[in-house]
This record gives sequence, structure tokens and C-alpha cells, in this order.
Amino acid sequence: MKSEILYPGAFPMVRVDLAAGENIKAESGAMVACSPTIDIESKMEGGFLGALSRKFLTGEKFFFQTLRASRGPGEALLAPTVPGEIVILELDGVNEYMVQKDGFLAGADTIVIESKMQGLSRGLLGGEGFFILKISGKGTLVLNSFGAIHKIELKPDQEYIVDNSHLVAWSSTTSYNIEKATSGWVASFTSGEGFVCRFRGPGLVYIQSRNPGSFGAWIRQFIPVSE
Amino acid sequence: MIPNALCFGDEFPAAGAPCLVQVEEHGLTVNFASDTTDDQSESVPFSSLTVSAGGLDHDQLVVKWAGQKGERTLYLKNPDVIRAFRQAAPDQLSHSFEQAAERVRQVRHRSRLVWGLVGGVFLATVLGLWFQSDLLVEIAVSRIPVEWEQKLGESAYRDFLSHQEVMKEGPAVAALGEMTQRMTAQIPDSPYKFEVTVVKSDVVNAFALPGGYVVVFTGLMKKAESGEEVAGVLSHELNHVLQRHGLERIVKSLGIMTVAAIVFGNQQGLVGMMKQLGVELFTLKFGREQETEADLTGLQLLQRAKIDPSGMITFFERLSEKDEGRMEWLSTHPMSAARADRLKAELAALPKKSPEPFTFDWKQVQASIGSQTVVVP
Ligand SMILES: [Zn+2]
Repeated sequence: MKSEILYPGAFPMVRVDLAAGENIKAESGAMVACSPTIDIESKMEGGFLGALSRKFLTGEKFFFQTLRASRGPGEALLAPTVPGEIVILELDGVNEYMVQKDGFLAGADTIVIESKMQGLSRGLLGGEGFFILKISGKGTLVLNSFGAIHKIELKPDQEYIVDNSHLVAWSSTTSYNIEKATSGWVASFTSGEGFVCRFRGPGLVYIQSRNPGSFGAWIRQFIPVSE
Repeated sequence: MIPNALCFGDEFPAAGAPCLVQVEEHGLTVNFASDTTDDQSESVPFSSLTVSAGGLDHDQLVVKWAGQKGERTLYLKNPDVIRAFRQAAPDQLSHSFEQAAERVRQVRHRSRLVWGLVGGVFLATVLGLWFQSDLLVEIAVSRIPVEWEQKLGESAYRDFLSHQEVMKEGPAVAALGEMTQRMTAQIPDSPYKFEVTVVKSDVVNAFALPGGYVVVFTGLMKKAESGEEVAGVLSHELNHVLQRHGLERIVKSLGIMTVAAIVFGNQQGLVGMMKQLGVELFTLKFGREQETEADLTGLQLLQRAKIDPSGMITFFERLSEKDEGRMEWLSTHPMSAARADRLKAELAALPKKSPEPFTFDWKQVQASIGSQTVVVP
């Protein structure tokens, strides 16, 4: 899987080159265009029940798509639903990332995607829901965000505080606690009460420069309410 | 080299440097992968290490030491390496090992406890809804469009009839047509178009599939002493359809996931899911409440159609007394004395209406389906 980001910025696409016979995983609905050599299969990762429980418990799409270059090499163009940056990570087999459920765009067939239950307080307060994706294995991982993606590098025991609705992905060597935001933090429009995550290194934390919930609330004020 | 750990330090990338950790007699050897130079390795004696638990779920072993180039932190996850490390480590480290292990156990225990509690409450709520009020089933059933129900019933109906000897015409078909017509005229708003078929078979049975597909066997018609008696069974079956009892049973036997699937959106999968789970429409047994409901609404329907309702009661009673023959209808419609008594009480409470007789002669209808004169032993 060779990938290249086209039109970096707010409205990017990713071009993925597939060798003959190669498979990749993609978020269902991410496909924009592809060579005629590529077949799309809707595959239920983790079996039928796994997919079903993912759908109900994480609200995530029922299927990942598998793109397969069955009839020779080819390329596919993939794009996320929301405007925002795309980032490509190379997993080395040791690094693992936790990804909030909308952050996954595509990945090599060799990466492993699991739904993972979070601790109760993290699930209730963290804003990413009780379930997040745990992505491990070796190969390319493509993430997308709402707005720009910013990488925070944490040294061992270094701490950083992040508004939870801006989280995209974080390495599993980090740990975090949920804290109630003190005044001064941008309280989210929807809850009126913000929660923040206090991350502790070592590892990487990827955040997005826009908050989907706040954006939704901002849009809503312009939509006429029918009586 | 296949790395099994991540090493953090000032000159390493923030995501950590993949490395291979090997446990030796006196310490750890850490090999770093490098494309440009030969593999670099670093050996650290056990005496200069500290260990603790860390990472997102506190399930990684964190090993720290002061290297020549500064502070080093190693995150180990591989259980084999951790086990080997633990066995080889000297006494002064084993205390911190135990502490780290204890911390992991505590975290896991606590989260198991909390999740167990949450799961228990959730399950109890769902089961409570499930068994007490059948609320979820009702919600799910109400979301299934009638066309779906018809599609479901029709495919089973056609499939069934293709293996049976169907009566296309004759006095028996005409008689059932008249009964059906009299009753459906009383339910003009019903979304169901009832289809009633007479099947030549000595089985004493009649059934209705979801969507309004009704089958009456000639065996049942031979056992009946009047048209009103057959009309009683027919009315009962029509009301199973009108109350969507079959659908309730299907949804119930398919389980909670299906109910959830229907309530929260996806109705498309129902037919496929039934096939997959091998749910047999014909073996669905109705519940006692459903039987009572079909009895009572059936009785009211007869009354409105001016068909003498006492035929229903006498036929039910007669069917339950005799156990000879193949009384299939009873196997899906368990009969009891209480059921007949209840119907009698209900009938007594209804306003009296003078019934209008059918236009056919029941004895002639029976003769046309080859019924011998019944000899009472
Ligand atoms: Zn019944």
C-alpha cells in the first residue's frame, strides 16, 4: 500500500496505489473513485456479531470496506466526509494507537482494528463514547480529522491538557485522566460544561483544530426551526 | 529484527524507538533498529533499573534507568519478555515487580467490578422490559410495515401450498368464501387482504400466516357440525393476523438484537435474518394471552358479522374433548376448559343479536369433500 495525500489542507483526498492482489481496509463510504481493477467488498470486521455490536455500541458504521486489486494493480481515491486534514502513519508493529471512532479513514490489510471498551469514567465523560478503536499491527494507517491535525509529542511523564472533543488519536504508551474543565476553557456549546483530558507521556497525541459538536451547535442556530 | 518494545529518551522520536529487548543473566540488552549504521545495542544491569506499571490501561511494564546519554524509559508489553524478566530479576527488583503487578490487578479488578455493575443494571432493565410488558416487542412490531409482513407470509404460504392438494372450486371453497366475505365486510379499514385456501387433508387444522394468508384443511371441515363452527375457527385465525400475533412471536424468537435492529432502523434484514436463523413460521406457537385475545376479538367479529358465535364455543369444546384423530389445531392452540368458560362468559355479556344463517347447506358442503356420515360410537 503506497499512499499520497492530494490537495493537503481543508479538502484533501488520499491516493492509494495497490499492487495486484493487494487489499486495503477503508471506512465505508470513503471511496471517491478507483481503477476498474479494484473490487469493493463490504466486510464485517470481527464477524457478524462483532460488526453488529460495533454498530449498536459505538454508533460506528456497520462495515469497513475492503478494496481489493483483484484484476491487476490499480489506484483508489479516498476522502473523508468532513472537511479536514488527513495524516498518514506508519505502524511498526510495536506502536499502538487509540483512535476515536470517526478518525479512521483507511489502512493496510496488515493492521489490526479492534473495538475497545474504555473505563467507565472515561467513557461517560470523555466524549468519544464507551468504545474507541484500537489499531495495532504493521503497515500504513490513514487518519482524518475535522479541521487541521496537530501532533503533540510528549516525553516520559510530560503532561498536556486537551479538550476531549478535539481528540483524534493517541498512542497506548500515554495515559490520561478526565478532569472537569476549570473556567477559561472553551465550554462546549452542547453540554455547557467542558471536560478535558490530562495526558501523560511518553507518546503522541493527535488533536483536531475544530470541535465537531461545537460546529454542529453553531450551524444549528442558522437553521430555521419549524413550529 | 522484530522489535518487542518501545524506548523513549531525548534523542529518540516522541513516538518511541522500536527496539528488541532480551533478558540476560545480569541485566537487559536493548537492540535498536537502524537503517544506516550497524545495530546499536545497550546493556543495562538489573541493579540500575526501576520498574512500574504504565500505559493507557496500566498493562505495560515501564522500565527506567539513567543511560550514558540521559534518562531512558522502556515500555514492554510482550508477556514472554515480561515473564522472563520477572524470573531473572534479583530480589531488590522483585518487590517493585509485585507492586506493579498488584497495581495492574487493582485497576483491572476495579474496572471489571464497575462494568459488571453497569452490565447487570442494563441487563436487568432490558429483561424487565422484555418479560413484563413486552414493550420492546410491541415497538419493534409496530415499526414493521404491513408489506413486509405480507411478503414474509406470502413466501411461506406459496411454499406450503406447492406441496399440498389445493381445492380450487366447489361448495367447500364457496362456503369459506362466504364466511370470509361476511367477516371482512366488518373490518373495512384493515390493511390485510385475506386469502383463504382449502387444502385437501384429513388433518384437523387451520392456520393463518402473517399478512393474512389462511389455510383451512378439509379434515377440520369434516369434524365441524355446522358452518358456524368453522366460521368460529376462521374468525379466531383472522384475529391472530389482525393483532399481528405471528409477527410478535417471530420478533420474540429472533431475539433482542433483531428487535434493536428493527427499532433503530434497519428493517431490510428481517426476512434474511429469519432464513439465517431457521425460524419456521408454521411451528410458531402463540402465547396464552395471544390466544385469549384472538378468542375474544374473534367472538366480537362473529357477533358483528351476525354469525352465531355459539358455534365457535361448541366446536372448541368438542375439539378439546376428543383426542382421537390428528387434532393438529390443538397443538398450536392449546385448549382448556377455562378457555371455553371464559368465552361463554364473554358471550353472555355481549348484546344479543339475531344471527343470519349462511346461504349454503353445511351437509352438502361436507358431502362435497367426501365426508362420510359421522357414526357416533
Ligand atoms: Zn390461536
